[in-house]
Amino acid sequence: MIFGMWDSPFFDLGPIPVDHLVFTEWVIIALIGIIAFTATRNMQLVPRGLQNAFEAIILWTYDFFTQLMDKEHVAKKWAPILTAFFLFILLSNYSGLIPGAAHVQGFQPPTSNWNVTMTLALITFCSVHVAGFSEHKGRYFKHFVSPGWAMLPLNLIEEIAHPLSLTVRLFGNIFGEEMVIAFLLFMAPFVIPSAIMGLSLLLGAIQAIVFTILSASYIAAATGEGH
Amino acid sequence: MGIALGAGLAVSIAGIGGGIGMGIAGGKAFEAMARQPEVGGDVRTLLFITLAFIETLTIYGLLIAFMLVGKM
Repeated sequence: MIFGMWDSPFFDLGPIPVDHLVFTEWVIIALIGIIAFTATRNMQLVPRGLQNAFEAIILWTYDFFTQLMDKEHVAKKWAPILTAFFLFILLSNYSGLIPGAAHVQGFQPPTSNWNVTMTLALITFCSVHVAGFSEHKGRYFKHFVSPGWAMLPLNLIEEIAHPLSLTVRLFGNIFGEEMVIAFLLFMAPFVIPSAIMGLSLLLGAIQAIVFTILSASYIAAATGEGH
Repeated sequence: MGIALGAGLAVSIAGIGGGIGMGIAGGKAFEAMARQPEVGGDVRTLLFITLAFIETLTIYGLLIAFMLVGKM
C-alpha cells in the first residue's frame, strides 16, 4: 500500500487482474443501476416517489443543457451521458468519505486515481469531436485552422489541453482532499478531521458539477455556430 | 532538502496567484448578482466555469508538488 492506494490487484477474473478501484466502480455503477431500475420498474402516468424524483432530475438537466448549448436537439442527444457523468463522479467523490475507504479490501475511491479521471476526460474528448462532426460534417475541420493556417499548432494544443485539464482538475482536487484528511487523521484522530470532511461534501459536489458543465460547454463550443 | 523546498514553493506560489484571481472573479460576480438578481443563475454558471479554469493552474502546482514529493 503506497500513499493511500492499494498497489496489488484485488482478484483475478480469468486472465484479467481486477483492481480495487475497478471493483468500487462496479459497486457504484450497480448502485445507480439498481436505484434507476426500481424507479422505472412500473411507471405510472402520474409519477410518485422515486419516479417523480427521477423525472424532476431529467427535466431539470434537459432544461439546463438546452440553455447552455442553445440547440435543443444537441442538448437532448448529449444530456444522458453528461447526467451519467455527474451521478457517477458525485457518488465516486462521496465514496471517499465513507469510513474504511482505502483501508478495506476492494474499496478505493475511484476519482482519486488519475487513470479513472483520464478515462472520463477521454470519453468527453471523443464526445466533443463526434458531436462537432455530426453537427457540422466536413465544415467541422475548418475550425482547426480558423483564423489562418498559422493557428493550427495552437488549436491542436488547445484540443489536447482540454482533456488534460479535466483530468488533472478532478484528480488533483479529490486526491489532495484525501491527502489532507489522511494527514489530519494522522495528527488529530478525533473531531478535527470532520471539519474538512464537511467541506469535502461541498467540494465533491462542486467538482462533479464543474466536470459536467465544462464537458457540456466543450460540446456546445464544438456544435455552435461560432466557427 | 532542495526538493522539499521546491514542492512547498510550487504549491504556495500557485496558491497565491489562484487565490487572488478567484477573489477578484468571485467578488465581481457577487457584485453583478447583487446589482441584477434576475441574472443570478447565468452568472453562477459562468462563475463556476471561470473558477474551474483558475483553479486548474493551482492544481497544476499541486501536481508538480506531488511529483516532487514522490521523487524524494
